[in-house]
Amino acid sequence: MDRNYDNIVIVGYGIAGMTAADTLRSHGYQGRLTIVGGEPHEPYSRPALSKAMLADVSTVEPQYLPASDHGAKVLLGSRAVALDLKRNTITLDNGEYIDFDGLVIASGSTAKRFTDHPREFAVRSLDDALRLRTRLHDQPNVVILGGGPLGMEIASGARNIGCAVTLVHRGLPMASHLGPYLGGWCTEAARARGVELIDGRVAEVYAPDSADGPITVCLESGQEVGGDVIVSTIGDAPEGDWLADSGLLTDGRLKVDTRGRVNEHIVAAGDIAWLPTADGHERQPLWTAAIEQAKTASHALLVGDEAPPLNFQSYFWTEQFGLTIRVSGDFPIHGEPEVVARGQKANPDALLLRWNGDAQSAAAVGYRIAIPKLRKVATGDFLPS
Amino acid sequence: MRIELDQPRCEGHGLCEEVAPDLVHLDDEGELVIDIAEVEAGSNEEHHAQEAVRICPVTALSLK
Repeated sequence: MDRNYDNIVIVGYGIAGMTAADTLRSHGYQGRLTIVGGEPHEPYSRPALSKAMLADVSTVEPQYLPASDHGAKVLLGSRAVALDLKRNTITLDNGEYIDFDGLVIASGSTAKRFTDHPREFAVRSLDDALRLRTRLHDQPNVVILGGGPLGMEIASGARNIGCAVTLVHRGLPMASHLGPYLGGWCTEAARARGVELIDGRVAEVYAPDSADGPITVCLESGQEVGGDVIVSTIGDAPEGDWLADSGLLTDGRLKVDTRGRVNEHIVAAGDIAWLPTADGHERQPLWTAAIEQAKTASHALLVGDEAPPLNFQSYFWTEQFGLTIRVSGDFPIHGEPEVVARGQKANPDALLLRWNGDAQSAAAVGYRIAIPKLRKVATGDFLPS
Repeated sequence: MRIELDQPRCEGHGLCEEVAPDLVHLDDEGELVIDIAEVEAGSNEEHHAQEAVRICPVTALSLK
C-alpha cells in the first residue's frame, strides 16, 4: 500500500457501498471505516424491487444482501448533505460532521418524477416499492409513464395483482434498451396480458391540491389519461446535491477516471459515477456495473495506478409478462437474430438468440445459461450442444 | 465455512459462476451445481465464495 489511510468513509450503502467496504478489507485496509447509508434499511437487492417483490404481493420479502464482516461503523438513515474538501469533512443531515482521509462516493441516484403528489409513485428505494405494493393490493387503475424495463416490470406486476394498467410510452416499449426485435416481443406480451398501451409523450401531469382528488396525465397529443395512481418510470438522477459546493462536479456531473478516481483520495462508484467511454462520460446504472466499479474504485483508492482499470462487460436482464430476457453484448440491437438453441427441460419454449454482424450480441429468452457462457455465445465462441 | 443455496430463489443468472468458476457452475439445464461447498476461512476459495454470494442479484447464496 503506498497510501496510509486510517479513516475511510463510504457515502452510500447500496450494493456499490457494500462492495467497496468488502473490497477495502480484502485488500488489507485495517483502519477505521464508516458508512453513511441514506436509507433506514440494511442493503438490499435493488433489481428485485420491481421483479420478485411485485410478483406476489402477499408473500415476497425484501431481499436483503447477505451480511458482511467489513466491521464498518454504519450510520443508517443518515444522509450526507455537504462535502468540505478544505477540512475533509462531510456534513450529515442531523448537523453532525464526520472527517475522513479517504472517501468513496456511492450515493446512488433518485427517481425522477413529475409531481410530489402522494398518488404519483416512483420506484427507487425499498420504501418506494413497499408503498407501491401496498397500494396495488387494492387493485387501483394504474397509469404507468415510461416503457423501459422498470415501467414494463411494474406493469407486469400490477397486471398479475389484477389492476387495470395503462402504459404511456413514446415508440415501442423496451426498444431503446433491447432493440425493436425483443422490444416487439415484450410489447406483444404486454398487450396479450391486457395492458393498454398508449404511444405518446407526457406534456404535463395535473395533480390536485388535496391528497384524494383525481390525478390526470395530459399528453402532447392533447389526450388526457386519468387513473387512481400514476407510476412514473422516467429515469433517475444522480444523488449529487450534497456535492454541489464541493468543487468535484463538472456541469453537475461527478466524473471519474478509468479506475473510478475523482482525485487522489476520492473515488466514486455506482449510479452516481460518470465513466469515460468512447462517447464521452456516461453512467452505467446496472447491478453488475455497480459491483465492478466499486471493486475497481476502492482498490484504486488504496494502491492508485497499480489497481487494474475497469474492464466491464455489461449484463442486463428483465422479467415481464412471463418473459425472462437476459442479454449480453451490444444493445439495443437492430435486425433479426438466429436461434442457436431451443428448449430446455424446465421450459420447452426457451430460446437462445444471437445476432451476427459487427455487433456481438446474444439474448436468452426463458433460457437458463450462465452469464460467462452467454458472453461466449455473443462472441460466437460457444454453442450449447 | 459452507456455501449454501436457496434453490427456489436461484434464477440461473450464473454471475456466481463468473466470479467463482472453481466452486460453482450452471449445468446444461441452467441449474446451479455447487462443486465445492466447504471452503477454508481465509483461503482463496473463501474469497471467491464471498464474491459469489455478493454478486447474486436474488440473494440465493450464503456462506455460513
